[in-house]
Amino acid sequence: MNRRSILKQITALAAATAFWPVAAHAEMAASVDEPVTITFYNYNLAAANAGADATREMIAEFEAQNPNIKVEALPVVVSDIFTRIQADIVAGQQPDVAQLPFRDLIYLATDIGANALEDMVPEAELKAHLSSLIPQGLELGRYDGKTYGLAYTFSTPILYYNADLFRAAGLDPDKPPRTWDEVEAAGIAISQKTGKHGFFPGAYGPVDGTFVYQAIIMSNGGNVRDGNRVTFGEGEAAEAVVKLRQMVDNGAHARIDLGSHADTMASGNLGMFLYTSALMASLQKSAKDKFDLRVAAMPGFGDKPTKPTNSGSALFTFSKDPVKQRAAYELLKFLTSKYAYTVITSKIGYLPLRTDILDDPQYLGEWVKQNPMIQPNLEQLDRLTANVAFPGPDYRQVERIMMDGVREAIFGKDDPLEVLAIAQEQAQALMPQD
Amino acid sequence: MTTIAITGPGSAADGLPVAPRALAFTARAAVPWLYLAPVLLILAVWVYLPLIEAFQLSFYKWNMLPTAPKTFVGLENYQRLMTLPDMRRALWNTLFYILGLLPLSVVLPLAVAILTQDLAGPLRNVYRTLIFLPMIVAPVVAAILWRWLLNEDHGLVNHALSGLGFDKIGFLIDRDYALGTLVWITGWKLIGFSTLLFSAANAGINRSYVEAARMDGASAWQIIRDIRLPLLSPTILLITMMTILFGAQWSFVYINVLTNGGPLKSTTNVFFLLWEYGFETLAAGLSSAAGMIVFTGFALIAFICLKLMRRYSFHDN
Amino acid sequence: MTIDIEAARAAAPARPFDVRRLSRKAALHGTMILLSLVAVLPIYWMVATSLRPANDIFSSSLWPSAPSPENYRLVLESLPMFRMLANTVVMAAATAALQVLTGLLAAYALTRWRFRFSGTVHALIALSWLVPFQVTMIPNYVLATRLGLLDTLTGLVVPNAAAAFAVLILYNAMKSFPREVIEAARMDGAKHWRILWEIVTPNLRAAIASLAVLAFISAWNEYFWPLLLSRKIENSVVQIGLQMFMAQEGNLWGALMAAATLASLPILVIYLILQRQVIESFMKSGLK
Repeated sequence: MNRRSILKQITALAAATAFWPVAAHAEMAASVDEPVTITFYNYNLAAANAGADATREMIAEFEAQNPNIKVEALPVVVSDIFTRIQADIVAGQQPDVAQLPFRDLIYLATDIGANALEDMVPEAELKAHLSSLIPQGLELGRYDGKTYGLAYTFSTPILYYNADLFRAAGLDPDKPPRTWDEVEAAGIAISQKTGKHGFFPGAYGPVDGTFVYQAIIMSNGGNVRDGNRVTFGEGEAAEAVVKLRQMVDNGAHARIDLGSHADTMASGNLGMFLYTSALMASLQKSAKDKFDLRVAAMPGFGDKPTKPTNSGSALFTFSKDPVKQRAAYELLKFLTSKYAYTVITSKIGYLPLRTDILDDPQYLGEWVKQNPMIQPNLEQLDRLTANVAFPGPDYRQVERIMMDGVREAIFGKDDPLEVLAIAQEQAQALMPQD
Repeated sequence: MTTIAITGPGSAADGLPVAPRALAFTARAAVPWLYLAPVLLILAVWVYLPLIEAFQLSFYKWNMLPTAPKTFVGLENYQRLMTLPDMRRALWNTLFYILGLLPLSVVLPLAVAILTQDLAGPLRNVYRTLIFLPMIVAPVVAAILWRWLLNEDHGLVNHALSGLGFDKIGFLIDRDYALGTLVWITGWKLIGFSTLLFSAANAGINRSYVEAARMDGASAWQIIRDIRLPLLSPTILLITMMTILFGAQWSFVYINVLTNGGPLKSTTNVFFLLWEYGFETLAAGLSSAAGMIVFTGFALIAFICLKLMRRYSFHDN
Repeated sequence: MTIDIEAARAAAPARPFDVRRLSRKAALHGTMILLSLVAVLPIYWMVATSLRPANDIFSSSLWPSAPSPENYRLVLESLPMFRMLANTVVMAAATAALQVLTGLLAAYALTRWRFRFSGTVHALIALSWLVPFQVTMIPNYVLATRLGLLDTLTGLVVPNAAAAFAVLILYNAMKSFPREVIEAARMDGAKHWRILWEIVTPNLRAAIASLAVLAFISAWNEYFWPLLLSRKIENSVVQIGLQMFMAQEGNLWGALMAAATLASLPILVIYLILQRQVIESFMKSGLK
């Protein structure tokens, strides 16, 4: 190369970097050259099931490939993992990586000090990794234009149904309901002809989270909030709730103990159950030799395309030390790689955030063929919509008020629209003012 | 003795040695404090210090992270909590919880302890052990077991009810039954607790009193009424006071696992409400204010209870 | 004067009492049996469910049609269950022992001396009972971290080494202790320490035993504090272990019941050992 082209290149480079916002970019070390230990708070490990084994397998594989990095895994159950992170930060034990539910996304970004990947990782490197993940999935962990959480384990709502009950009610189990009207009709048929419960969504209980509820109302075109204004009590969102209330009143939608919904399905007493796909393996075990369990995509409102939302977790990092940041990022990359998603989908039962492994026989190709039950879930991935988190320091209370209102509207005696309006007003008072 | 006493030992009305005032600086007066030191030290460090911190924090808005700002908000946290829309419901429910628990935590165990007292050897222990069994199970597990037993579809209790010709009852679904169901579960778990304490207190009653009364021809009921009950009164009053002060807290774990305050707010109580809106949030100020409300509210009630206890309890010494 | 109980009973008219006594006995036993059944039913259900396979968990048959120890195997495989049980036993026993010891000392001070501020101290001890654990949780966690108590059994025990409940129960028991006996001992020149340990305590066996059982159970059921303090599963307690069978991907009910059954056994053993102390222990000495 002659001097002129080199000069050109340097000028071009200088011009490029001049417009590159310096900020907190590339604080992260380029590589991990000395031994370092990072903490990994994980709730799959706090369960005595295949998820724990699979996670241990992945961590061991990561450590084998990265001899300088030691991962100190800290198992905490999902309901308490957030408290634990907070307590540890207060006590001066800075967490490095944590698997946390999506509902806390905004708070983690604004208050707890989760690192935005765009601020931590060099742009090119980040782009290379993120481009292999499905964009709808990445959206789940983004806030304010930055990626704070890398979607890790997640699932969408699917409709489990009991083919035996369908047959007993005179319905065709090969044609599962596709719309809410069809669900209503099937529910009435099942409850009247078999005496068992018709339909129930895992949308109301404290452990269920809000994702099934949000999936239902968003499929109707509504939303829980619009910026800082809560909207769950109006428009299409309220309409969806009215439909559910209608179904309760005419017997299609069961009235059962909110905490026992999965049990009621597992014991063969419920016709249709709309809940997380993560429950698949467990329901299959309960249904074995007892009843014919099948799955279908979540039902929609008429012709409107459904908007399945996600439940599950994302990986967040909090490290402030550059070497630890690099180690943390390596772990993040590893846990969202082709190998990892093969393990996550086939062994734990969550959805793959990458589609490049579905047909690849080296990864999930064979497994997908042998497990047709995952098809409805995969098909819904196209329409994956991010579950909406609430902003502000009172976000958990806002959620609670919303769900209390929804429960009362559906199972109470008063006019659902009035109940929702009151709840919306109460929730609005706790939202950040614009 | 090398110090000058103003009042001599043994001169107080109840016969207890009085630490003379002038001995305030000698080892003698310090002795009771030495005995109290372990308890006081531990309570000071692990209970009262955090309480003082909580008191200070309750006037701020803060999420506890060292990097986050603390904003002074005065009484706002307290106002927020006291004006929660569910507060009235929660207060009423708390009263119902306490009233519902008293028969299960005081009356029934008392009856069991007294009735089994005079039974022949092994049978007494068999009954008492069986009554105690609910205590060995973890509270979360107890909640889940009752949830199964009371379930409308696969629960044994409803099976039995429909077998006997009654309608099935939605114990945890029906707002008319849910509170009673939770009171039952909380009480069921506690029976062994009180029975044990009453049995222990019963064992300490001087047998000669009972024999003497029997000699005088007193009936079983008279013995109970005139001897056992008064002598058991400190324990009766203690457990009653505990039920009043902790009834809401005792039922917390079951509310949390089974109903989360529902259906339709029928099972929430003051402790659960403050936990939902105070403790469970990550707002340290709100959480501390909730803690202070629970503490001072029940402290006042305890104060009243203690006064009553002192007046009515009878110590045989 | 000796009391001839037998003669007295024989002297009392027997016949009119027979029927009444019999029916009263029947009522008594009937009530006790009913209560016992109600108390035991869920426990029985726990054990029965622990022997059921996954697809039979919700059956309402009284005994599993195909009982199998599969769930127990699963529990022992997935968790270091024995280690966790051992941790919990040591933690609960140490906590109970310390609560009894510190409680005895404090109760003795409050009952045997009248000193300035004794009323205040009594009130402060009782009041500490009312402080909800959420208030103390995080500040104690910070302190424990600073003291290097993370992930240790000591850290689990020390904050609970004193309990208002223990002090109050022992206070009640000591207050009912015959004063004459203590006065006699003091006249003989006995020091307070001796009186406490050689005279008062041996005669409070019933109260101490029942307190020990209850304190053990209370420590056994602790969840939040061990949750914060323990970092590794091997160092944690049984309550944490139980939570591990309830997960997002489905609850393993059979295994949970198996783990719960295992977790109840130590408590049962402690109860059976200590409840023998809760027998009539009337004063033998000093009143004749």
